[in-house]
Amino acid sequence: MLTFESVSYRYAGAARPSLQDVSLVIGSGEVVGLVGASEAGKTTLCLVAAGLAPRTVRGTLSGRILLDGTDMAPLAIHELAGRVGIAFANPATQLSGVAGTVYEEVAFGPMNLGLPRSEVIDRTDAALRALKIIDLAEREPALLSGGQQQLVAMAGLLALGPAHLVLDEPTAQLDPAGTRLVAQALARLAMDGASILVAEQKTDLLASICDRVVVLDAGRVALDGPAAEVLGDPRLADLGVAAPASVRLRRLADAAGASPATLSHLDGALALEATT
Amino acid sequence: MPELAMESVVHVYERGSVRALDGVSLRISAGERVALIGQNGSGKTTLVRHLNGLLRPTSGRVSLDGRDAALMRVAQLARSVGLVFQDPDRQIFAGSVAAEVEFGPRNLGFRDAELRGAVDDALAAVGLAAESRTNPYDLGASRRKLLALASVLAMRTPVLVMDEPTTGQDQRGVATVRGVIEGAHAAGRTVIAISHDMEFVASAFDRVVVMGAGRVVGDGPPASVFAAASWEMLRSTYLEPPMAARAGERLGLGSTPTDDSLISALVRTG
Amino acid sequence: MAATAVAFAAVGVGGLAGPALLIGIGVVAPALAAGLLWKVVRTAGLMSLPLGISALLVNLFLYPGATDALFSIGPLTATVEGLRFASEILLRILAITGAITLFYLTTAPSALVIDLERRGISSRVAFVVLASVETVPAMVERATVITAAQRARGLDTEGSVVRRIRGVVPLAGPVLLGSIAEVEERSTALESRGFTHPGRRTLLWWPGDSGRQAVARWSMVVAVPLLVVARAVGWLGWLG
Repeated sequence: MLTFESVSYRYAGAARPSLQDVSLVIGSGEVVGLVGASEAGKTTLCLVAAGLAPRTVRGTLSGRILLDGTDMAPLAIHELAGRVGIAFANPATQLSGVAGTVYEEVAFGPMNLGLPRSEVIDRTDAALRALKIIDLAEREPALLSGGQQQLVAMAGLLALGPAHLVLDEPTAQLDPAGTRLVAQALARLAMDGASILVAEQKTDLLASICDRVVVLDAGRVALDGPAAEVLGDPRLADLGVAAPASVRLRRLADAAGASPATLSHLDGALALEATT
Repeated sequence: MPELAMESVVHVYERGSVRALDGVSLRISAGERVALIGQNGSGKTTLVRHLNGLLRPTSGRVSLDGRDAALMRVAQLARSVGLVFQDPDRQIFAGSVAAEVEFGPRNLGFRDAELRGAVDDALAAVGLAAESRTNPYDLGASRRKLLALASVLAMRTPVLVMDEPTTGQDQRGVATVRGVIEGAHAAGRTVIAISHDMEFVASAFDRVVVMGAGRVVGDGPPASVFAAASWEMLRSTYLEPPMAARAGERLGLGSTPTDDSLISALVRTG
Repeated sequence: MAATAVAFAAVGVGGLAGPALLIGIGVVAPALAAGLLWKVVRTAGLMSLPLGISALLVNLFLYPGATDALFSIGPLTATVEGLRFASEILLRILAITGAITLFYLTTAPSALVIDLERRGISSRVAFVVLASVETVPAMVERATVITAAQRARGLDTEGSVVRRIRGVVPLAGPVLLGSIAEVEERSTALESRGFTHPGRRTLLWWPGDSGRQAVARWSMVVAVPLLVVARAVGWLGWLG
């Protein structure tokens, strides 16, 4: 469980805080989506959740972040490595750059922690299996597609065994096939018990995998609730977030005067299509 | 306004034996709004780089209004075809937004009032008019992308090509990009965009060209490219049609590839 | 077999026409075994060319105190002694370049660095070395895209020198700025994967080192001073 208690964050040298009084909880096995206009604070929230802000990315943090009930503040970044993993939009920058094969890339984290060799191997095998990329094990990471690289990055995080995963627009640079791969992987990981926070612009994607959705507006939490409810909220447009296609179509049909029966048929069809 | 044509263009990259383009023939008339879709590796980027001469065909011909592009340098072709790259950070170098936008038109010979006008119009079109003196790196990533778009808009080329203009953009950013496309179209310019966003493609373009393994596997208005009859073709290149098409198919309403067609069909049934 | 290469090169310098034999054993044989003979010959040959040609010409025509003439070109006379000496030098050069080339072609940088890491260098240093090797292709790719983007905005890279000089800032700027931004993102990612964890990291694999390799290595290292001494004392005269 990852808990934010009235967290505010201001980057070093910035005039205004990027996060203001944010309180939220991400439970184990939950997939929480994070949306908001650009510069609403999504990336900052992800960096804070992973502990990178204020440790690596300098700034001032007020409020508390609890990792499974205990304050995250006294932990150093390498101590957090095994507990919270973070993935970014650019698949290439997440690769260590020193691994000749995907296997070594995924093993990078556990190797850094100095774990016994047999444990490194076990964890790497498990991570590759969890993301269904065992057949990529001998490939060169730099030559893979963006989607595949993202999966490798996620496997690399998993091998460290974190209970919490934070992903900042992981599908931004991926094509639809790559996006689907990542979405399926996230759903599977949540089923295995990870708590996942995923920031995205693609509300269609979030509609299909998230249990809850949080909307950020100028650094504050504007909405927080079950995915379907939040994504169907009419206030989304004012908050700079595009509603998912299913919500948009539903609204258009309603506005065009379709009958309740038709609307409910439409709902059914949209619901089925959303879970691809 | 020129007509672009590619005739049996094949492109093989030096290092490999892979035919990135395997015999592409395409004609794009002046004023069209064309979306280029296909999975990564299908040849979309390779194709657009042939339009301004950055890449030359291994065989086949690219022409602009009948004139062979091979006879023109990239700097010359840049007067006719403006290409906006996907990653703004692989382009931005100036200390201010205005200086960055000036670069392109200045290279083309714009001066004084014409230059200022081009820059001002471009900044206004992307909503960065108030930031002309801001350092580009003080803008967020999505606004830097709009800056890159402005820097090519300011060149006032008859053909505007954009590589993934909406990735990383929030709703307002996407609306801005739509506005730019509309404005260019209204001015008679040809707009070509590579995109993964099927909803955007279905609603902002008159024509969709589908690429797979270096070939054109589909070409037509969104209504036909996203119609059920084309789904097999789309899926062969790992693409899914937009939601309206899929919902309509499930409801047995026939082919409803666009929002409007779905809504009309729904209202007709009750 | 880094040690092998180094030892061999030293021997090559110490011997006479004996180098020919050593080249045969130390360079040609392993190259054949690794299937790299042509590559080694070609690369070593090219490397040796400048030095080799000058050594040949200088010694062939200008060897001091030579008496046995071969042929003349104008005021210059080629001598047998000169030819002999030139050959000795050439063979030594070839021995060195051959050994270096063989080493370079048979050793993956990562294998070398991991081996060193196993023998004691810090993980951080090892990482920096490996990462720098990888950065080159990445930077080249980055520079290529940047050049394309700027050319698409009318930057003329095919024109006069002056024009090309003016193009330096729009080309170098983003390469630097972007690389810096990327480095930041990369280091953040690395840190979150335990890169700053104190202590040694676990190695998954390292280059194998069999008993036979160790013996071969050490015997070559020992052979160097022995051969030098033997030559000085005159025992190797029969090698000519």
